[in-house]
Amino acid sequence: MKAQKGQVKVITGNATAAYAAMLCRPDVVTSYPITPMSEVAEQLSAFHADGILDAEMVEVEGENSAMNVVAAASITGGRVFTATSSWGLAFMYDAVQQASGFRAPVVMAIANRETPGILAVSGGQQDIISARDTGWIQIIVEDCQEIFDTIIMAFRLAEDYDIQLPVMVNYDGFYLSYLAQAVEIAAREDVDRFLEPLKRQPQRPKLVPGEPLGAGTHGIEVGFVELRYKHCTAMERATTKLDKIDKGFGELFGRSYGGQIEEYRTGDAEIIVIASGGAAGTARTVVDAKRNEGIKVGLIKLRLFRPFPRKRLSEALRGKKAIGVIDRSVCFGWNCGPTYMELRALSPEFGVTPMLSYIDGMANLDITVPHIERVIDETYAAACGKPYQEVTWIPLEE
Amino acid sequence: MAQQEKKKSRIFDYFSEKEDPYVGGVAWCAGCTLELAARFVPKVLGNDIVLVGCPGCSAPVFFGQNLGAWHRLSYYSCLMTGVASSATGISRYFRRIGKDVTVVCFTGDGCAADVGFQPLSGAAERNEHIIYICYDNEGYMNTGYQRSSTTPLGASTSTTPAGIIGKGKPTPAKNMPLIMSLHGAAYVATATLSHLEDFAKKLLKAKEKKNEGFVYIHVFAPCNMGWRIESNSSIQVCRTAVRTNYFPLWEAENGKFRLTQETANPRPIQEFTKPIRKFAHLKEADIDKLQQMVDERYAFIKALCAIGK
Repeated sequence: MKAQKGQVKVITGNATAAYAAMLCRPDVVTSYPITPMSEVAEQLSAFHADGILDAEMVEVEGENSAMNVVAAASITGGRVFTATSSWGLAFMYDAVQQASGFRAPVVMAIANRETPGILAVSGGQQDIISARDTGWIQIIVEDCQEIFDTIIMAFRLAEDYDIQLPVMVNYDGFYLSYLAQAVEIAAREDVDRFLEPLKRQPQRPKLVPGEPLGAGTHGIEVGFVELRYKHCTAMERATTKLDKIDKGFGELFGRSYGGQIEEYRTGDAEIIVIASGGAAGTARTVVDAKRNEGIKVGLIKLRLFRPFPRKRLSEALRGKKAIGVIDRSVCFGWNCGPTYMELRALSPEFGVTPMLSYIDGMANLDITVPHIERVIDETYAAACGKPYQEVTWIPLEE
Repeated sequence: MAQQEKKKSRIFDYFSEKEDPYVGGVAWCAGCTLELAARFVPKVLGNDIVLVGCPGCSAPVFFGQNLGAWHRLSYYSCLMTGVASSATGISRYFRRIGKDVTVVCFTGDGCAADVGFQPLSGAAERNEHIIYICYDNEGYMNTGYQRSSTTPLGASTSTTPAGIIGKGKPTPAKNMPLIMSLHGAAYVATATLSHLEDFAKKLLKAKEKKNEGFVYIHVFAPCNMGWRIESNSSIQVCRTAVRTNYFPLWEAENGKFRLTQETANPRPIQEFTKPIRKFAHLKEADIDKLQQMVDERYAFIKALCAIGK
């Protein structure tokens, strides 16, 4: 049975994140304000003050405590939510890794913002790139509706008995965080219905007073290795699980996003552009325009960054002639974009083609239509055998 | 009922009548006061507490070893930066599901006064319903006797060693229990292992007061290894610390201060410092300085106790 039509509100990405979290009925919510996500904390507090959000709200004194509060509440048995950005993520770094090591199904929204640097008060994805090896699932979304839908899906993914891992839902700070768009807010009963399967699965272990359980205590030697192995295999399972959850979401709400990746006009494409976040939206329109010019180009929107969608990407990229990858962050020590680096590692599985790395949209700079036209033109030229530059910092060449 | 209450205050009963949550054979260093504190706390508060701790001297036992559990308590271990905040998350979730649970943080001074101070201060300010017990062995004992912010003036540690130039720690200890009491916590107390009756009363009070808000208990817990004292003298060192006013026993209930152990004729600080070899290098002038600090701090507590009398 389809979900009823939700109320449409014109709200910012931050408010959207708060709406989605509120509807998922979390038990413990905490958030420490930081630009550009402060509105998430404010909106959640407003929901709480108005009695719409029936949860324990903890106004912590820093991000590190925010993560510890939600991780511990999660291990005690609760559904939890928090949000942060850049330095906030950096400040909770030890607790972030602790949460994933504990297999605490925390859901955290992140309005992506630059690090490192002195202030770096600007959009970019460097914050989550720094956290890619923390053992968290990382999903990147494109617009406000996708923020809403993905946060709801993230609870299904994180709390799934086969997964039990924390999930970061990432959206472009400054762009999406402050941009107001029309968002269809699902009805509470429908969100309940979507999350209902979580109630039917086995109970995960939790802290119970008087019952001997050491939560978070570590094994050493082989015990430790076994836990690490299980963590890794759970990450692997998250790839196809996300596809399934996304499909189920589509069946109920009529919106789905391709799961791990969204493929746009890739079937007969000769060259592929890869982008994530809001840039994918711009890229879609440029792909259409270039198609009209006769260039057979397709777009892959990378949604799942960790675990990396190896199988889906290999299948989508096999037989293509060239790939242009747009990153809003850098890979220090490799001097290229991180998505590009990941794809280079994967390239033996889809065959070696010219691959071009484009670094753009850092520090609040726009990834414009001409920029993406350039990416497509150069990638196409490379596919035709012309010489190409491996890494291009677009803002420095304008 | 009154009879039962009276019986409860007998320390012996706590040890004879309550089930010990620790596995047989588990021990800390010989003569360790932290061990006595760790065994005493569940004796008084019950085995149905949820304990929250972090790396430190208590960790090897609380964490267990490999697949072996060394106690039967419900225990949440986290990093040193997250003890008070994790306890917040645990207690808030239990409140959310309407369950009355005593959540007890049990850490050393390295966590409470230093690296975990921010979340502790935050939890105290929010008046979270948790009990935080700090066993103060005046330094980072588990990592090899380095100084902490509660290491006393002049003490030689592995990072403030006495040497040809070095005179031990150049600054006095951070007055942690006093700082915590000024957060407006529901109940703050000091305790030590030579005065178990006093400690037990404070733990019982803590269990009651945690329903109102934050509770902090600062336990003076000498470290035989780090302080270089004889393993059979740690309790005596606790007792001398009280008798010299080096560690006065007091409580602050809703901001009202009260000395729980009056010292009629305080002994000179030398009686405290003499058997402790971390003070062995101190000259008379250094001892005088320490004595002056002890006197000033005691006068301060006395003055606080006088308020509202």
